[in-house]
Amino acid sequence: MVRMDWLKQIGIEMRFLGVLVRLNLASAMEYRASFISQIVGMVINNSIMLLFWFFFFDRFGEVRGYDFQQVILLFGMVAFGFGIAMVLSGNIYQNLAYLIAQGRLDYYLVFPRHLLLHVIFSRMNISAIGDLTFGLVACLIVVPWRPATLLAILTAGLLAAAILTAYGVIAGSLSFFWGSAENASAQMFGSLITFALYPDTLFSGFSRTLLLSLLPAVLIGAIPAQLVRTLDVRLLLALLAAAAAGWLLAVALFSLGLRRYESGSAINVNL
Amino acid sequence: MSQTTAQTTGHVMGYRLRQKLAKYGAITAINFQNQLAYIWDTLNRSLFIIFIMFIFAQLWQAVYATRTAPEIAGLTLPGIIWYLLVAEMMELGKFRHDLKISEEVKDGSIAYTLVRPYHYLAYHFFNGLGETIVRMALVFGLGLPVVLYYAGRPDLELWQLPPILLVVLGAMLIDFCVLSTIGLLAFFTEDTASFRMIYQKFVFVIGGLMFPIDFLPDWLQWIARLLPFHLTTYAPARLFVDFSWTQFNHFLLLQLVWLGILGTILWVQYRSAARRLAVNGG
Repeated sequence: MVRMDWLKQIGIEMRFLGVLVRLNLASAMEYRASFISQIVGMVINNSIMLLFWFFFFDRFGEVRGYDFQQVILLFGMVAFGFGIAMVLSGNIYQNLAYLIAQGRLDYYLVFPRHLLLHVIFSRMNISAIGDLTFGLVACLIVVPWRPATLLAILTAGLLAAAILTAYGVIAGSLSFFWGSAENASAQMFGSLITFALYPDTLFSGFSRTLLLSLLPAVLIGAIPAQLVRTLDVRLLLALLAAAAAGWLLAVALFSLGLRRYESGSAINVNL
Repeated sequence: MSQTTAQTTGHVMGYRLRQKLAKYGAITAINFQNQLAYIWDTLNRSLFIIFIMFIFAQLWQAVYATRTAPEIAGLTLPGIIWYLLVAEMMELGKFRHDLKISEEVKDGSIAYTLVRPYHYLAYHFFNGLGETIVRMALVFGLGLPVVLYYAGRPDLELWQLPPILLVVLGAMLIDFCVLSTIGLLAFFTEDTASFRMIYQKFVFVIGGLMFPIDFLPDWLQWIARLLPFHLTTYAPARLFVDFSWTQFNHFLLLQLVWLGILGTILWVQYRSAARRLAVNGG
């Protein structure tokens, strides 16, 4: 009976999050020209970054086992994972830090919904739809179109997004402890994405350990890309474990921080 | 009689010039102090340079390790690491006044700023200068330990600094003209962010931010050298690692030509935008 209630509650929360995402999308599409220009702009932006790699490999050939095709896949997987994360839960890292620092969690606290999920799913990053599209297309250009590979792209993308979101929650939650962690969380998140976009073989020793733990860039770029290429189940399990550990840590830190939360005295009107 | 009139006119002009310099100098000084007051915030924003310089050092070490010759397009490994620090300093140290201009145009507050006793564009330049001095110094200072560790001391002499700084100023002026033009586009189109992003990407690839334009294919290098983007990033960075008077003269001349072209475009656009301005009182 208790188990049934638990499952029912998860179903309710999932339906609620689905409604939030639909509403965010509908609201963004109200301004059609801006919606399209943001998405197209991001696709062009990412394509130009790939152009740099094209000229780089054209001039220097293979570097530490990476060629242009592998970089396209790496870039594609990072963009795809980032796109999923930011389209679904745009209120992470600096946005979350801002909400906490400004005492704007009050609005969410009065709802009978799961607080953390409600907060992070309440915003959609529109340009991230461009990242998502670009990432998927980039992956599809360089991998064979086999069902297993396509399934691996989707799974790896979702797991990378889960890790990114957990990291974004951890970065944003620092505001509970530091007062304002907007810049710090933006730096943390930005560094994670930057490192993820470069071949992981460039880093060894301490820096590689760092990229697997405190700044888990390898887990959102190189490992998902490797999973798509090799379909190695061990990599899938590693990503699953990382996503679960990341979320446990994120929820624990957010809950711990929430005890220190103080309401803002500002009057906010949320329409 | 005519000599006295000329002297008086000269004195008046000199006095006005001094007054203007003092006014715009004060604007720069105020924003400079403002940046220093929020130094921790600026420092936080500049920390990115440490990570990016570390990544670049790893990447280019890997590239040079595969080569037998110690130089690529005249640049050694320490040379390219120093090049990238200066290029990043130019990019990350920039002031982003185009956003402010476009906001002022959209919310109509430009009507208030236009009637103030300073030139609108000159105000934005001198105001941004106060910010950029602090940001560039911070980016350079934060990236310095990483670069010193991987590349050692730069191959630079003290007397080379003034001409390099002159090219840095030229780079900032070109960037200012382009970004002001983009900001003023808000008079014609609602969203100027996409134009800015496209400009930024041009600087990334054919402006020499990601790597020197000497590494591009010949046909693209030829185009890149004709366009102004490389004058904002590549020119100061290349001079810093490989100074020569020939190169300095070449960059300075090109900067002057492009400043003439971009400055004219900006001026025409500014005059036309000011005429389009409709103010509704109330």
